[in-house]
Amino acid sequence: MTLSLAPPRPLSRLRHPSVLAAGAALVTVGLGAALVVAAGTDPATAWAALEEGMFGSPYSVGTSLNSAAVLALIATGFSVAHRAGLVNVGGEGQLCAGGLAAAATGLALPPQVPTALGVPLTLVAGFLAGGLWAWLAAVLRTRRGTSEVITTLLLNFVGVGAVSVAVHEEGLLRQPVTSSETLPQSEALPAGAHLPLIAGAESPATVIVAVAAVAVVVTAVVLRFTGTGLRLTAVGHSPSASARLGLPVARLQEGGLGVAGGLAGLAGACLVATAPYVLAEHFSSGYGFTGLVVGLLARGSLIAVAAVSLLLGFLTSGGINLQLAAGVPASSVQIVQSVLVLLIAATMLWSNRRTGAAT
Amino acid sequence: MRARPASPAAARVPALEIRRLTKSFGAVRALDDVSLVVESGTVHCVLGENGAGKSTLCHLIGGSLAPDTGTLRLYGKPYAPRRPADALAAEIAMVHQHFSLVPTLTVGENLRLLRLPDLARRVDRVADEYGLTLDLGARVADLPVGVRQRVEIVKALLREPRLLLLDEPTGVLDPVGTEALLKTCRRIADRGGAVVLITHKLGEVARTGDTATVLRGGRVAGGGPLAELPAERLVPLMIGRSADSLDPALSGTIGLTELTELTGSSMSKTPQAPADRPGPSALRVHALTVRGTDGTHALDGASLEVGHGEIVGVAGVEGNGQSELLAVLGGSRAPDEGTVAVGDTDITRATPRQRTDAGLGVVPEDRHHDGCVPALSVAANLFLGRLGQFRRAGLFLDRRAMRRAADTVLTAHDIRAEGPDTPMSALSGGNQQKVVLARELALDPLVCLAAAQPTRGLDVGAVHAVHSRMREAAARGAGVLVVSSELDELLALCDRVVVAYRGRLSAPVDPHEPAARERIGRLMLGAAAEDSARASAPTVAAPTLTAPAPADPATPADPAPPTEAITPPTPPTA
Repeated sequence: MTLSLAPPRPLSRLRHPSVLAAGAALVTVGLGAALVVAAGTDPATAWAALEEGMFGSPYSVGTSLNSAAVLALIATGFSVAHRAGLVNVGGEGQLCAGGLAAAATGLALPPQVPTALGVPLTLVAGFLAGGLWAWLAAVLRTRRGTSEVITTLLLNFVGVGAVSVAVHEEGLLRQPVTSSETLPQSEALPAGAHLPLIAGAESPATVIVAVAAVAVVVTAVVLRFTGTGLRLTAVGHSPSASARLGLPVARLQEGGLGVAGGLAGLAGACLVATAPYVLAEHFSSGYGFTGLVVGLLARGSLIAVAAVSLLLGFLTSGGINLQLAAGVPASSVQIVQSVLVLLIAATMLWSNRRTGAAT
Repeated sequence: MRARPASPAAARVPALEIRRLTKSFGAVRALDDVSLVVESGTVHCVLGENGAGKSTLCHLIGGSLAPDTGTLRLYGKPYAPRRPADALAAEIAMVHQHFSLVPTLTVGENLRLLRLPDLARRVDRVADEYGLTLDLGARVADLPVGVRQRVEIVKALLREPRLLLLDEPTGVLDPVGTEALLKTCRRIADRGGAVVLITHKLGEVARTGDTATVLRGGRVAGGGPLAELPAERLVPLMIGRSADSLDPALSGTIGLTELTELTGSSMSKTPQAPADRPGPSALRVHALTVRGTDGTHALDGASLEVGHGEIVGVAGVEGNGQSELLAVLGGSRAPDEGTVAVGDTDITRATPRQRTDAGLGVVPEDRHHDGCVPALSVAANLFLGRLGQFRRAGLFLDRRAMRRAADTVLTAHDIRAEGPDTPMSALSGGNQQKVVLARELALDPLVCLAAAQPTRGLDVGAVHAVHSRMREAAARGAGVLVVSSELDELLALCDRVVVAYRGRLSAPVDPHEPAARERIGRLMLGAAAEDSARASAPTVAAPTLTAPAPADPATPADPAPPTEAITPPTPPTA
């Protein structure tokens, strides 16, 4: 108790979260500028290109929002599982499973299917497949005690591989091969399975943005205001005490991880149901892992999930434009992003330790 | 076999001299002004119940803890270990209760991990001198526990230590293994080494030790040559009597004594005597067997019955199956054999929820791990099992109603918390336990309450409150089962006391009979079991408790004739 008063005041002020955040941002900007200069570009030009890519046009804003929505869905799922004490590292695999199921469902629909039927069916298929993918790991955990970190991680490779097989085999989902230039990808989904645009023809933003927003809000409400949320929290904190109190621990854990997978699968379905409306190898673009990072950084706060998803979503599409317009490799944006993540994580650790010492 | 120990001059310098050692953990004084002397050429026993400070003493000697005040001297030289490596360098060897062997390696490979020079010569020497032979090619995982321990002891002896410290070495051994181990201890001492044997089992002490120090509540309660300390005197020293106890660590006992006066008499007037209630007893445990992972029996055909309105205590040194009994009752562990019934419901394989529905309340031993969720609020901890009762608009949790209901409970049970939203972890141990107890007592119907170490670590006031609640539950007609290592608590609280020893439960002892404490004490220490073992196996010779020990243990340079007397002849199986 007395020890917590010991650190001198200037130092403790330095450790204030906002000071740390500002420091992290400063370091990141400095590193970004250095990379830009190293690539032989004028920093002002680069900044203009980045800004253009993030906010410059309805198109860039729409792209950013779509990316942010995918990240938010995966991170929301991560938060649900995390509440139940499970770490879902398998967003990528669940996303692939969801995309695969969505593509199969969409392609099986008749070409004239109405949007009101086609879109929900495609998305539900994605949700179910992703949920099933995660549920496999959850059952191994609850029945056999296998670490879900390992199983979800390994199921990533299976999921990615399954997509690859499906789009390479004509017997599966590959479009008919007419020439040697036919890409290994599926046929385009029927128009009725395309996600509707929500901000006019100028912007590619689709209903996925609304879906993600609803998912974030509903999850926040469930976790905070319902008995289910409290039960999940209890199981996450102490499975043994929860079991003693008669909570269905296994069911809650399976459900928590299942929902996490379902939301990742939903994200995968959305990716397939967005232009160019095909399932292709690498359609996931690593969203599963970036979403995991968002979830880890948000640490259970769904407001933070929304904020970090938006930040990373905008940075990603800004980075694409940086390469196109200013000739700075997009990988430098990835470097900057990763450094930012590292710094945020480090500052959290630091401020955590502070509160840890005070209690 | 009896080589002359060290020269008389050397023998006059004690092997280990501990002066006024004190060690506190926060407010708890684990060791308080403890002094003891271990002469070379002797086996010195450190006796005491759980929590008496034995393991702290062990850690201090072994260098894994540093004392607050006090000094140690090893063969006359100041010895202040700051880490375990210092103890090794000072030629102190320790054998812990839990083995440090790599199970997938062979015995020989495990020994090679010590990286000692001349290993083969050392192994031969230990085999010659102590008769401790090992199959170096055997895989440790395939060996029975007793042999594994022999490997541990050989490991310790290979370093040719000047002082050997054994922490509860017989906890895992069967009688034959125990016999062999004690013989080895004796031999080491006879060769001039010094052995410190930390134990709570009285039979071993009498058979092997030369001198003893009894710890109780962190203080030295007594000690001296074992020849002058028969079991009749050791038992009261170990267990203590509430009357002459001024020890702060036993203040719970003092609270208890008052309690007996306060509520004890009124209890006998309560209308619900067990006989008034027809039907099956509140709790019936029949022939329960639980096997540990190493094949030993944690519970070995334990049977028990608790009537309605009755408080039954389970006494015993920890690790004799009490934890497993509660784990089976709580549903966290399935028994290998046997049945458990609450009222007329069989719950042997029921889920925790079904147990609750059958009317079984459980206060787990590990409050923080199994009893509550420390990170959640008091209200959540009280009602987590029945959140369905607090619903608003069909979907949402009615936190306001929960808070109100929790407030009522806080008041009714005199739980000191800032409010129902306070996290459980912010409460004192006593108040946490009151929350757990309040929750379990709120079951409707409450047929039986099973509580493990319900007052451990609580202050006097909280102990009082917990005891009162359990009495009230019994008065309302529930059966109450209390597992405790505090004998005074059980004597004050219970209608009957059974004793757990090596996975079995003894016949009940009436705590009101005059010699109850003595009898329970002997049952706890396995003294009765050893008596019967001796009776049935005459080859394991008699002269343990009353045998003439060395006439003057301060001069162990001349131990020959007396040692003969207290060393039991080789058991036929060894």
